[in-house]
Order: sequence, then C-alpha cells, then structure tokens
Amino acid sequence: MAAPRDFRGHPASPGRAVGPVHRAGEPPAPSGLAGNGSDARAALEAAVSRAVHELRELSARADPESAGILDFQIELLLDGELLAPALARIGAGEGAALAFAAALNDQIDEMAGGGGEGEATHGDPFVLRAVDLMDLQHRVLDALAGRTRADFPPGAVYVGRDMPPSVFLAHDWSSGGAIALGAGSTASHVALLARARGVPMVVGLGALPGETGEPLLVDGTRGMACLHPDARQAASPSAPDLAPLLSPVPACEPAAWEPLRAASAVPDRPFLFANLDTLADLDTLDPAVVDGVGLVRTEFLLTSAAEALSEERHLAVYRRVLDHLAGKPVTLRMLDLGGDKALPGLTEGDPAGVLGTRGVRFLLAHPDLARIQARGLIRAAAHGPVSVLLPMVTLPAELAAMALLFDEEAVRLARQGIEGRRPPLGIMVEVPAAALTLDLFGQAAFFSVGSNDLMQYLAAAARDNPAVAPLYAGAETAMFRLLDLICAAARALGRPVSLCGDLAAEPAAVGRLLALGLDGLSVAPRRLPALRAALGAAFPALPPGRA
Amino acid sequence: MADIAPSIGRPSAHRCQAEVEVTHGVGLHARPSVAFTRLAKTFPCTIEVAVDGSGEWLNGKSIVKIIGARIRRGTKIRIRAEGARAEEAIAALSGLVRRNFDEDRKAGRADGRPS
Repeated sequence: MAAPRDFRGHPASPGRAVGPVHRAGEPPAPSGLAGNGSDARAALEAAVSRAVHELRELSARADPESAGILDFQIELLLDGELLAPALARIGAGEGAALAFAAALNDQIDEMAGGGGEGEATHGDPFVLRAVDLMDLQHRVLDALAGRTRADFPPGAVYVGRDMPPSVFLAHDWSSGGAIALGAGSTASHVALLARARGVPMVVGLGALPGETGEPLLVDGTRGMACLHPDARQAASPSAPDLAPLLSPVPACEPAAWEPLRAASAVPDRPFLFANLDTLADLDTLDPAVVDGVGLVRTEFLLTSAAEALSEERHLAVYRRVLDHLAGKPVTLRMLDLGGDKALPGLTEGDPAGVLGTRGVRFLLAHPDLARIQARGLIRAAAHGPVSVLLPMVTLPAELAAMALLFDEEAVRLARQGIEGRRPPLGIMVEVPAAALTLDLFGQAAFFSVGSNDLMQYLAAAARDNPAVAPLYAGAETAMFRLLDLICAAARALGRPVSLCGDLAAEPAAVGRLLALGLDGLSVAPRRLPALRAALGAAFPALPPGRA
Repeated sequence: MADIAPSIGRPSAHRCQAEVEVTHGVGLHARPSVAFTRLAKTFPCTIEVAVDGSGEWLNGKSIVKIIGARIRRGTKIRIRAEGARAEEAIAALSGLVRRNFDEDRKAGRADGRPS
C-alpha cells in the first residue's frame, strides 16, 4: 500500500472529504457546438436529423391527431428554407446553437404577425403554428446539447488543472466528493459554487495528486490534499464549515423588491435575501427565513448553449424558483457571460476577458440571445414578483437599450397572446464608472452592488490571481468610501440599493454595511445563519420566520 | 423517374398552371400545408404557388413558405409547375385543394401517405 503523501495548496472551500480520484481529461475535446464554420454546420445537420428521427418515432406511435402535429414539425425540419437562414448565420461565424435559435426566432416572429399586419388574434391558427416552431426549436437545441456533458462518478474527487463551472453544475454532489485543482483560484466561480454547495475544494496544488481510482483526502479548510491517507487522517472529524476564509472573498451581487419595505414590521432593518446558483440550492433554502431571493445567477442555471437559447427552458427554471419562494420577490440576473464564464457554443472562457465583452455588453452584442432570455423573464414575471438585474453596466445607454428590448419583447408576446408582464429592470453596480455616476441611472428601478467585481476593478487586481490578493483585500477602504457614495446617490434617486455575496456574509463587515444604510443584503443559503446571527445583534426582532 | 425528356413543341408536358380557390375551413394552416408540400415533393418538377393577385411565386415544396403565406379560406391561389410530370402535378395538387385536403376522409394523414 502506498504511503500517505501530502500536497499543499490554498483553501478554496472548507470541509473534508475522501474519495477516489477522478482525473479530468485535459483540454476537453471541442464539441461541434463550440466550433464554427463546417463544424457548426455538421453539428446542426446532425442535430436536425436526430430530431427528425425522434419525431418520426413519436409520430409512428401517435394517434392521428398528434401525428398530424408531429408530421408538421418533421416537414418543417426537412424544409431547406427553414435551415437556410441558420446556415447563413453559421457562414457568418456564429455557433450552431445560436444560429439555429436566432433563425427560428425570426420565423416565429414572422408567423406571429411580427410583420405588423396586426391581424393576428387569439385563436389564430397561424399563431398556433408559432408555438409548434418553439417546440421544434427546443427539440433541436436539446439534440445539439446531447453530446456535451462529460460527468464523473458520484462521490469522486475531481482532480484537474481547473474546473469549468458547467462540469461542477452538471455533477450530482449529493453523494459527497471534493475538488483538488493544480491551478485554479480561491476566487473563481467554481470556488464560489463549491462554497455555496459545501463541496470541499483546494486550489493551487501545483502537481496533480494521484491517478484515477486512488484514494485522495481533500481538506478544504487547511488547503491540503493527501494521497492514500491513513485511517487516522481519513477519520478525523470535519473542520467546522464556518471557519473563516483568509483568502480573498469571491464574487458578490444584488437584489430587488419594493412593496416589501412598506409592509416591513421593522422599517430600518435591511432585507435578508438569498443568492441562488442552481436549482439544487432551492433544497437548502427555507423560504420562511428570507425576505426573498436577491440574486439568481442565470448563467449557472442554464449550463449549455442549448438551454440558454431555449425560451421554454428559461421559463421553466424561473418558475421553479418562483414556486419555491411562494410569492416572495425574486431578482433574476440576466446571463453574465464572457470573462471567465464560458458557455460552449456561445462564448469560450477567457479570464483576460473580464475587461472585455461580458455581462450586458455580451447580451447587447448578441441581441438574439438577449431577446430569448427577456421573453423567458417577461413570461416568468406573470407568475410572481420578478425583478431583472443587468450585469456589468457601465453607461446609462446600456440600460436604455435593454429597457427598449424588454418593451419590444413584451409587445411581441402580447401580440402572440402569450401571458407576460414587463418586469422592473435594475443594474449591478460593479463598474467604477457606473458607481461614480449613479445619479445618471434614473431609469434603473433598483441597484445591486457586486462588491467583489467592483473591488477588483477599483484595485486593478484580478480577484482570481493569488499574487495580487493583498491588493484586492486592501482595497476595502476605497470600497467603503465608494459604497457611501453609491448609497447616497441611490437615496437621492429614491431607489433601493442592496449588496450581495461573501462581503455581506462576513460578520466583521456587516456592522459597517448596515451603517451605510443598505436596503438589503444577499448571501448564499449556507451563509444565511451567520448573517442572521450578525444582524440579530443589531435588530433583535430581525429575520422573518423563526429568528 | 422513368420520364422521357419533354419534347419540344409540347410545352404543356413540362409547364403547367392552374388557379384554385381554397375552401378548406381554416385555410392552409399546418395540416393542409403538410399535405400540400408532401404531395408536391413527390413530383420531380418545380412547383410554385402565388396568392391571389400577388406576383410573388413561393416554393410549393417549402412548408415554411406555404405556411408563411397565411393562405386563408376564400383565397384564390395559382399553382404552376415546370419540368417532368408538371401536368400531373398540377392536377394532383389542385385536386387536393378542391377536396379540402382530404381531411374529412382521413384525419391525420391528409395526403393518404403512410407517414
């Protein structure tokens, strides 16, 4: 039996776990989805024939009425006219999923009377066909997504240089397991996800420990990994989860509401919100102990291009969240893609891209994608109190452009006879230029401070670069001065402002945050007890439910 | 196809046109359109459709085009075909429209084909 061997790294998510190593394949083979040009063309054609095959099987077993509907879809898929616009988009360099979804959306609009004929009404048979097209779009996008996931065994320890968030999200962590990365960062989005989910994680190990199948102990509290741990090591009790992280805090974000304040029994207490990254987070969130959901990171909820491009999928996941919250307000942030957040087929991850086309910039550069999400959000807003948050806003013109897009989609849905409500739009305050000119954002319904991005941009220190971690942490003074300005500007505009993420969850910071007059704090469900405890000191009657 | 190349001097053999009124309850929505385009695709000739007075000819084998034309009850459509078996195609397609796409007889499979 091999002797125990220690590896030293940095703690990224507390807790201990032992499991068999799963060595991640090195650079994941690019799927047809991610490719452009002939790759994308082939991927789309394969997905279409797969969809046709599925529909034929269904049609063969269906009653005549259903078969008629399925035959219509088959006929559509076999029609070169339907695919031609998508293929043209691929020729122009778009990925398969985006090209297909966008081309079909044009068709859907056309059928729904988007040409301005104004004759489409409820019960119009030609409008019903638009619904068929959406169904078809969903099926092909699913077929496109069919060959993306490369999961690993439950309970295993993921070992690799780094870990894509989509792999984390596609994995079932309920059987335990852990993450040990050769590179990686304590402030990456995967680290954020791991902390939120309670998955022990160590980064910066340098050499990758172990081969697939060897037992590996990950101590995410001490930042250690041990290959072939002896019985005593493996059995030692888990470190308490609340152990404070000394390394830089990770990403942060916001919340929104409105009628709540008037109804609040304690007018001055800040609202307590939860952040959600996955639907599984819902299981750990008792809606009775929060005032609502302050931030849903939709780019983590919809983990493939096909999902992100499916309006029905957007609607389905948003409704899950709304149903769980049973009438409490939910703030959904639009896809924050670009930067280090990849979505194969739409955008490849590029850590250097944090100053590039990400957040609302990416959405405005891909209006087809933005429209799909806007439609999902508008439809979801008919089912509960939804607010929508725009990520990485720099200038008021970006908010204005997105507001216009929402207005247009709301009108379009109404014309199609689809239920919806145009939700209020707020902005993330995470770009210093926006933070310093908040008085110009009167069009925003609310503000949410993303303290970690704001801090990294203020300090010009990447939040996932350990070499500049002290600068990042040291920017806190600048951060609090800026927060003071932000809160004053929001008050002057009469708009609520909240703050989310791990800064809000740090007991030491809560007192200072409260002094600023923030209207709300939003943290991961696991951080709620600590925040409630810290808040309880200031507001004895504090959180709703059992305090 | 076993057809002989159309001979010169007999244009009707490879070029044909007809006008027909849509009397089906709703018009050319999904099911009738499927029937129409599936039947059209069984012929090797090109098949095009124009709505009422419109000069725009649409590909009669494309369901996207046919559905998109929103052909409602009472609309007169012109169908034209060019190429092998054009005459036969026009007869079959205008017959299908006149028979209301055979919907009364065979629910689900308007064109009567296996699937």
